[in-house]
Amino acid sequence: MQAIEYFEVECTEKLGGEYYRQITNDVLLDHNLLRVIHKLHVYIDPRIPIFVAVGILKKVTTLVRVSDIANVNPQEGKMTLAISDETYLAPMLKIFWDRFGKDHVDQPDRFTVILTGITASSREIEEMAIADPSEALYKDLVYAFRCICPEGFRVRSENYGAEKFSFIASEDTLTDTGLSLVKEKFALMGETP
Amino acid sequence: MILVPITYKGGIYRHNEIIDLIEDLGGYIVQKHMIAQEVVLQCFVPKDDVELIRSIGKPLAGEVIDSPLVGTEIAVVSMSLEIHHLPHPSCDIAEYVRRIGAKSNMVSLARGPGKRIAGINDEERDVINEHDIAVYLLGNFETCIEHKMPLLLRGVEVPVVLCGGPEKETLKRIVEPAVDGYVGNVGRFMHRTKESEELTKLDEIVAEITRVLEKRREELAKDPLSVSPARLMVIIREQVPAILAVTSPTPLTVQMSGLRVKLPYDTYADVLRRVEIEDGIKIGDVAEIEPSRMRDYIILRVKPFSETNTVI
Repeated sequence: MQAIEYFEVECTEKLGGEYYRQITNDVLLDHNLLRVIHKLHVYIDPRIPIFVAVGILKKVTTLVRVSDIANVNPQEGKMTLAISDETYLAPMLKIFWDRFGKDHVDQPDRFTVILTGITASSREIEEMAIADPSEALYKDLVYAFRCICPEGFRVRSENYGAEKFSFIASEDTLTDTGLSLVKEKFALMGETP
Repeated sequence: MILVPITYKGGIYRHNEIIDLIEDLGGYIVQKHMIAQEVVLQCFVPKDDVELIRSIGKPLAGEVIDSPLVGTEIAVVSMSLEIHHLPHPSCDIAEYVRRIGAKSNMVSLARGPGKRIAGINDEERDVINEHDIAVYLLGNFETCIEHKMPLLLRGVEVPVVLCGGPEKETLKRIVEPAVDGYVGNVGRFMHRTKESEELTKLDEIVAEITRVLEKRREELAKDPLSVSPARLMVIIREQVPAILAVTSPTPLTVQMSGLRVKLPYDTYADVLRRVEIEDGIKIGDVAEIEPSRMRDYIILRVKPFSETNTVI
């Protein structure tokens, strides 16, 4: 848990709290989210019942550009891209097809993409943004907290911002108590919602 | 003749000799698995002959292990089939008891999770009651367990072993009505059980199940069954050829006091009733044949001696 500066699980039942600390850790680790969460406070009171998670996110990594995953070699009338990381290959090809048309984009093998008869400069190609990892990050975050939260707590109020997020869940209709708890828990971390 | 449950593990080479030996000694093979070059036989054998099987199996690299759960069908009651409870811990536990001979089925409740909203319906209750024992896997909070257990136990007549996050003593204190076995510190978790500490916990669950089933066996011994379910299995296999065409892994599932026959009730109930066991005694005379709540299977409950006045 070194990646998180502040990580607390507060629960009215001591043993239950310890288990939920382990569950939270496991789920965040499985989804590779520990690197993006800066502070996290989880509060559970099974008597009410309510589950509250509030947290601060780290600055999300910047856009992925062509230069991050490929080496661009300009040649006479064409440009050869040597792919080093296939993760974002599919969105990159899609963007190339949209911009240059399929006639100008060729992929002779898995790690090579050749652009022919295009007007863009190699620098321009290198700078093209092909993916935004933060989109997937929010999806993962939403999924992770639904996993961590006890399953029966199906009435939820979730709020994911650029830097902060809050998650309230209960079996019963949510009242103002939930919102005041969010404020309270943010204050414990020295933050405001 | 007292039959004891064992597992024989050995090579495929000459394993037929072991099968013949067990059958000649008057034992029954409940399940047979062929895995690559290995054969695993789960069987009931006469208590005095275990050493004989062990010594004959030795040159064939065979191993004989005591498996108290052979011939039992266990319901692992999971609160739901969501990612919250599967595959850990529900599958881990279901798989672990399977390894030592039990036939485990996972029963998931439609409205199992939660505290106030938890409940059990008649179908779930009936399916649980068709097993020898139910292992309830609950969550981590004692407040929720205390609140929902009376509801989840409503109408359940089979012995229950309860696993939950709180300590064993706490579970004993909060669960009303009391159940037959408790295993503490096994609540909801989201990782695979592979640490030695966690495997010890699984062993503890098995020990608790075994203890409860032993108690049940003792109770059954006081009023013995009219016929051994394992024997019925062999007879049905010989006399009802349709069972051989069933592709399920265990077309005939042996239970402690009954048998699950995976054939359609409407077509085969009467056929089964008329099957002769010995000296004109038919299955219908010594067992109740009822439709199972699990698909369209047949559940066969062997009557005790006190009801039939016969033991065969």
